[in-house]
Amino acid sequence: MSAAEKMSRRDEIETLLPFYLNGTLEGSELATVEDWLASDPEAPAALEAAEAEFSGTMAANEAIRPPADALSRFSKLLDAEAGPMREPQAQSLLSRVWERFMGLPVGVAWGAAAALLALVMVQSVLEPGSRGNDVQVAGTGEDQAKLPFALVTFKPDARMADIATLLGDNGASIIDGPTASGVFRIAIPSETVADYDRIVGVIAAAPFADTVTAGRKPAG
Amino acid sequence: MNIASDPMSDRDLVSRVANGDRAALRLLFTRHHARVYRFVARQTGSEAMADDVANEVFLELWRQAPKFEGRSEVSTWLLGIARFKALSSMRKRKEEWLDDDDAAAVPDDNDTPEVATMKQDKGAALRRLVDTLADEHRTVIDLAYYHGKSVTEIGEVLDIPVATVKTRMFYARKKLGEALKAAGYDRGWP
Repeated sequence: MSAAEKMSRRDEIETLLPFYLNGTLEGSELATVEDWLASDPEAPAALEAAEAEFSGTMAANEAIRPPADALSRFSKLLDAEAGPMREPQAQSLLSRVWERFMGLPVGVAWGAAAALLALVMVQSVLEPGSRGNDVQVAGTGEDQAKLPFALVTFKPDARMADIATLLGDNGASIIDGPTASGVFRIAIPSETVADYDRIVGVIAAAPFADTVTAGRKPAG
Repeated sequence: MNIASDPMSDRDLVSRVANGDRAALRLLFTRHHARVYRFVARQTGSEAMADDVANEVFLELWRQAPKFEGRSEVSTWLLGIARFKALSSMRKRKEEWLDDDDAAAVPDDNDTPEVATMKQDKGAALRRLVDTLADEHRTVIDLAYYHGKSVTEIGEVLDIPVATVKTRMFYARKKLGEALKAAGYDRGWP
């Protein structure tokens, strides 16, 4: 090994001394420095020089005195700030479609509902409990035919989200519709006529309900 | 180096900040402001700028806390933000930022130390000589000795490769050694 190479090696090791002193050196570099300190008679002087640099640097930094009122002034700035910026939550295509659907006026929304229903069924499997105000859609076939129901129209500017909330809160669900004249057939979950009348009354009282016509009532 | 001794770790506090906890941010400010302030003051040479930039750093922490991924120490993250903002502020003042080669080629202020320096003790001389190193050199010295950062962490703060950190450290220490020797102190290396 040439003298130049030896010097280069020593330079390399001495460059690591600040990191040896601050305790961040590890692995093979730490072992190299420790071996060198233990074997080279000139090493203690080099370490002493680095320690002097350490002290000088600490003193130079600590001579800078931050303002005593820094925290109080920062607190005033902070008080004027809004909350932390958050990354937008990842939103599935289904969620985006569903939110747009729920925001549509009922007349427009229901036209797309048939296609969306399949997606809703998928969502209910993939994201159980992810929605609190889904439109309730009754089962099909013979079950529907036996359900108490009412015929309801909604005002043109009624939102699907509002309707979903209203029906969901009362356990009601859409069986069919809308017809060409905008009539929905709404299943009314009731065991007695009194229950039926109460739920229908709630629906009729909604500000976005237009007309409510009683249909089949429970037998009880 | 973890400078926090509080049972509530810096990372825990950043998580709380991400949820809008202003008290957690104030605690982080208390822990780290002095170091951030000094880092910027050393970078810019202006305590007025350090005051402004340090506040901006902690406001940035407030805004960006949800994005903190915990890959580095919070203190390292803050110093990285501080460096970026300090450079931006300096650019606004149209001060030049020297690249590595320029820094190595340009003589430091202390190449011809005045006689008064020679009469100081070695410690005081070193303190002064560290102050007069070129920015790139003084910064790696500060980050290693004062901020307790590793080679890798300095690379993260300065956004430079590990090899460049070592190169800058080599030249920084070489300059210090030459300056000390010129001031009449026998340092021995390099």
